[in-house]
Amino acid sequence: TLFRSDRLIQRAAGHSHPQFHTPHSAARTSGTSQDTMAAQYTITYFPVRGRTEYIRYLLADQGCEWKEEVVPLNEWHEGKCELRKTAVFGQVPRFTDGDFILFQSNAILRYLGRKHDLYGKNDKEAALIDMVNDGVEDLRMKYLRFFFHEWETGKEKYLEELPNQLRPFERLVSQNPSGFLMGSNISFADYSLLDLLQNHLIVAPDCLKDFPHLQAYKDKMEARPKLKAYLESEAHKNRPIHPTRKV
Amino acid sequence: RRSSDLLADQGCEWKEEVVPLNEWHEGKCELRKTAVFGQVPRFTDGDFILFQSNAILRYLGRKHDLYGKNDKEAALIDMVNDGVEDLRMKYLRFFFHEWETGKEKYLEELPNQLRPFERLVSQNPSGFLMGSNISFADYSLLDLLQNHLIVAPDCLKDFPHLQAYKDKMEARPKLKAYLESEAHKNRPIHPTRKV
Repeated sequence: TLFRSDRLIQRAAGHSHPQFHTPHSAARTSGTSQDTMAAQYTITYFPVRGRTEYIRYLLADQGCEWKEEVVPLNEWHEGKCELRKTAVFGQVPRFTDGDFILFQSNAILRYLGRKHDLYGKNDKEAALIDMVNDGVEDLRMKYLRFFFHEWETGKEKYLEELPNQLRPFERLVSQNPSGFLMGSNISFADYSLLDLLQNHLIVAPDCLKDFPHLQAYKDKMEARPKLKAYLESEAHKNRPIHPTRKV
Repeated sequence: RRSSDLLADQGCEWKEEVVPLNEWHEGKCELRKTAVFGQVPRFTDGDFILFQSNAILRYLGRKHDLYGKNDKEAALIDMVNDGVEDLRMKYLRFFFHEWETGKEKYLEELPNQLRPFERLVSQNPSGFLMGSNISFADYSLLDLLQNHLIVAPDCLKDFPHLQAYKDKMEARPKLKAYLESEAHKNRPIHPTRKV
């Protein structure tokens, strides 16, 4: 195997984060397909929301269970993690479904999108979902650059530009009769957009004031019962956006 | 360019609509206001309109059986394509915004960025980047390698599998014909800089 999970457990033993836990009981599977119930999902990542929290939103909302493997940031940066050498592009998150190992957060989203019928009803809807997810990802990249690398110097400019960046999503949601970002039903892109909006509201609490459809969209997503339960869980609330900065 | 390579190699025909850069920057293009994220490329298949280069690649990937033979292969193809895209983003940032200031650092770091792709190709019996057959990600990687060779002609000297991969891709008859066409050769990498 590429990865020795036992070694990670030993290294992480000194940390307060639990190495393995199943999420809040409200996220237990109920009436899901045989395929879903047989799935053994694991997310391996740093103890931050980063590029994984929207994957958790998808899993929780779809009634899936999953395990967490925490990668301590200091060990990663000190080169003590075997995974850093074996990961295909030297990065986390890593996702496993039984023996199947996958990297790259959007590849993970798309894999789960296919598995859980969150990828549109035909090839054209799938393409449009890809398109809007890539748009969400473009804004996420800008946000991550600002948030992690330009927090002091870039804040004014980022917030000034933010309405122009959010406007396309306001337009998309307002034009879609289903109320989701794209297509006739919820897609993997919706979990990604929700996470993006939440992160921006923390940085700029009034950033949706001129975007009523995005505000309604966020409220509607967060009201979905299984997702709501996850959002209220300790697992979610205890996972910070930034490893050290209190935002 | 990646979509053009894919289309040519798959024996498709397509039309080009050229957006003059000056008109775009001066705000004279209606498309800039109507495009979903205010960007090009735009791709149409009859009445169907699509933006975002990787969404276009994936759409063509599905249409032309270039997306693996099952969901797990598809996921792995997504994974490696996203890796290609990550390096493309670094390349574009360097090439268009840090050409003078960032060159030394970029070239120093480049082997570490290429090594994962050397490993992937060397480990894949089919000789393609991922999966048992050619995928949309191969056209993307080919383009990325070609661009890097222009900037650093010896960047594949320690990566024999990538060199062989590039040669094999470029030898595919329809793709070869396209790469030798005036249409391809007259389309520059940079709008003004002679590279």
